[in-house]
Amino acid sequence: MKTILALIIAVLTLSSTQAAELWVGSATADITPDRPVPLTGNTTVRVAREIHSRLFASVLALESRDGGRATDHAILVSCDLCVIRPGIQEGFRKHLAGKLPGFDLNKLFLAATHTHAAPVLLQERYDEKDYGDGMQPKEYVPWLYERMADAVVKAWENRAKGAVAWGLGHAVAGHNRRVVYSDGKAKMHGNTNDPMFRGVEGYENHGVHVLCFYDSQKRLQAAAIAMSTTAQAAGGGNKVSANFWHDARRLIRERHGADVCVLGFCAPAGDQTPRAQVNKKAEERMLKLRGLNYDQEIGRRVAAAFDDIAGVIAKDIRTDVPFVHRVRQIELPARIITEAEYAVARKVCEEIDTRTTRAKNDAWRRHFFGLVVERYLAQQKGGWKMYPMELHVMRLGDVAIATNPFELFVDYGVQIEARSPAVQTFQIQLATSGPKPAYYVPTPRAVAGGSLTENAFDNYSATAASSLVGPEGAQTLVNQTVETIKELWRVPTK
Amino acid sequence: MPASELWIGSASTSITPDRPVALAGQMSTHIAKKVESPCTATAVALETRQGNKSVDHVIFVACDLAVIRGELEDSPTELAKFLEAKMQNEFRQRVKPRLKGFDLNKLFLTATHTHSGPVTMDGVYVIPPGVMQPKEYLEFLYERLGEIVVKAWETRRPGGVSWGLGHAVVAQNRRAVYADGSAQMYGKTDRPDFRGLEGYEDHGVETLFFWDADKKLIATAINVACPAQEAGTGRGVNADFWHEVRVALRRQHGDGLDVLGWIGASGDQSPRLMYRKAAEERMRKLRGLTRLEEIAWRIVQTVNDVCEVTKKEIQTDVPLVHKVRTIELPIRKVTEEEVAKAKAECAALLEQEKKGKDTLARRLWHEKLIQRHEWQQSNPVYRMELHVIRLGDVAIATNPFELFTDYGVQIKARSKALQTFVIQLAAGPGTYLPTERAVRGAGYSAVAQSNLVGPEGGQVLVERTIEAINELWP
Repeated sequence: MKTILALIIAVLTLSSTQAAELWVGSATADITPDRPVPLTGNTTVRVAREIHSRLFASVLALESRDGGRATDHAILVSCDLCVIRPGIQEGFRKHLAGKLPGFDLNKLFLAATHTHAAPVLLQERYDEKDYGDGMQPKEYVPWLYERMADAVVKAWENRAKGAVAWGLGHAVAGHNRRVVYSDGKAKMHGNTNDPMFRGVEGYENHGVHVLCFYDSQKRLQAAAIAMSTTAQAAGGGNKVSANFWHDARRLIRERHGADVCVLGFCAPAGDQTPRAQVNKKAEERMLKLRGLNYDQEIGRRVAAAFDDIAGVIAKDIRTDVPFVHRVRQIELPARIITEAEYAVARKVCEEIDTRTTRAKNDAWRRHFFGLVVERYLAQQKGGWKMYPMELHVMRLGDVAIATNPFELFVDYGVQIEARSPAVQTFQIQLATSGPKPAYYVPTPRAVAGGSLTENAFDNYSATAASSLVGPEGAQTLVNQTVETIKELWRVPTK
Repeated sequence: MPASELWIGSASTSITPDRPVALAGQMSTHIAKKVESPCTATAVALETRQGNKSVDHVIFVACDLAVIRGELEDSPTELAKFLEAKMQNEFRQRVKPRLKGFDLNKLFLTATHTHSGPVTMDGVYVIPPGVMQPKEYLEFLYERLGEIVVKAWETRRPGGVSWGLGHAVVAQNRRAVYADGSAQMYGKTDRPDFRGLEGYEDHGVETLFFWDADKKLIATAINVACPAQEAGTGRGVNADFWHEVRVALRRQHGDGLDVLGWIGASGDQSPRLMYRKAAEERMRKLRGLTRLEEIAWRIVQTVNDVCEVTKKEIQTDVPLVHKVRTIELPIRKVTEEEVAKAKAECAALLEQEKKGKDTLARRLWHEKLIQRHEWQQSNPVYRMELHVIRLGDVAIATNPFELFTDYGVQIKARSKALQTFVIQLAAGPGTYLPTERAVRGAGYSAVAQSNLVGPEGGQVLVERTIEAINELWP
């Protein structure tokens, strides 16, 4: 029976990885509210009253057809948002029900660029009192759904025969942000001008992965760009901002066409952001000489890499490519909370709960430490063992596309890329949302950088409070992702 | 720090012999009978003057060689050959009569680390008759270097300098780490137990541009944290990517442009691809470039960009201060266990040699470790020549090692200078200098055989260098 099943799967895989006609649709939605709005990404909420740069959701619809028959499809939505919070993707799929005939809604996913100057999506994320006269999250989300749905429907309905090309370039757009000291402790964005500074914790990935989509006249219609850096360059302060993606998009459209739909994706970059850790003065001087701010500078580097890659890969545009899209619900071993971590978190929560005065970051801290308490108590009842997540893996020609919902440390992305049989592996973090927050997924060396303390920023991004999935779960994620990619290349896994 | 009028001179020459020559940097003998690209040396002389009075000076000499390590005829042991800065000292003595008014301690040689340049030390390889011997090559080298150093010094004229920072993804961290904690240089990354690359990467391209009085670019110094190790057929002399860099820059800025190729701290970095090789290779083929041209293209692109951006700030009056110090670093102590393992390795390699295998270089590598065990009792420190220079807002600091990137990053991060150039493989014959995490992972470049100085000495090097730099920014 097992042999027959394996044969069926092999035949299905074989047929689906054969080249087929590619249909492409794209659209863009402005998701910037034109009224004050509370911003997420910090420990306290800021109500934005001005717009530094507008936020967009960019939609790409793909379908493969063989002899007029649809063989597979996908809709990718890149959003200028901080995180696709729990429930948001599920809510959006429900909102889309009935609007996309013939499309399996499980094959649509949302991904965030991680701008820290975008609207709050969960009403309970901060203290409601601090939202003031801003657009409430419970108002913004339905409005967001409407805007994004219009673009998704438009992209799906306007799909037409097209073509694709892919390529790899480089831009130093992200830096490893974890600084290690002589006592073995690590700190995100720690001071490097310190006698105890010993090095930057890990590797940096400067790959720029590009997918270009063309219409039947070989005119550039859409571009997907994935890089290991979060949209956290200069930012907009208290203003709404799409961060460097605004500048990258502007430059790409100036050079390649005003209607080009640009999807900005963040590849695994849990420990990378654009912020420089060394050479800060020299970087500042170069910015001044160029007359740019840091958002513009990173946008310039990204657009320059894109221009170069787009020019080179224009020699290898394909109209008939294999396209397969797998969606899997997988479970990763959850990070277990120790007694000591529970004690720290409980103490912080009790202190906040019993205090009569209110600090602006209480809601954030209560949530941050409260989840540790909640996980520990669940684990005591045998309930916190596995973390469920949705995994998308696609084959598009020689390219593999793989998602994860986390801020996944770079090493894991490198493992996936190194072990993937695809010519090029395009990864997207902060993609999809499940029932639980995703947060960071740190490496063992990052975890070794310090235990959970009452200061949330001690070894922030690697403590139990920063991560629901630790190194063990991460390794499962890597292995499952690689195995799924290999299935699409019909490569037997070891 | 008072600014002074800057005088600049520069010159370049080929240091490629016109005879077959053995190549350095290989684990067995490789004889080059052809020239794939010429190895060259470039000299830039700087002097500051106030009125007619000379304030300070320096001569930089960048060589397409593996290391600055010369023949030492009276070396008592293989280890001593390794330790002394014979090549630089000998060259200074030879050129002394021809450099009037110049303090020879302020001249230093640097290597680009090409692994396809001539051997400069005897006894490492079995070099057959008819092939240029290291002693002969050194004579030729000293002659050629002397010509350019004198020319650079004598032709110095009032000029200007500008500097800037760009980026080029040229090198990758070359140490792969596995689930059991072990590390391996150029280890496979498609293994299921691969866990990541060991450390950080520095993709900064620090550049100095030297201009004549008419604002014509006459020389440039390019500091890239990447040894010139992409070429290596083992059959021909090859200057590696610096040749392609020079060709491209001269095409744009004129044939007379002199290019100093300086390697930044990159003991754990090299241009060799560690992963996503298929994607990189596909792009390179689509561009129609060789791998060396591809690397050069990345460097040249950023150098030209930075040149354009910074040329609005060409400075003709700048502070120039050049400090030369001998500093002492604690050596990495060899353990009894390491000696026992090395002895076993030597015995096994000797057996192979008896059967006609060329394992001399590998055996000497272990023998040096055995000698060190005795030597370290009376030699607890490694003495090295440290050059620290202030040129305007820029600091330049040297070390003789293949210094792991983390140390270079520490120096850059803690330097008071606006921009800091770190030049490794300079002014002496250093070995790898690994980090603590590398020593834990072991493997070539981080085992005791690969280092005379370990993490303890590395930290002392960082501290002494930062002290010296920051003294120049009171």
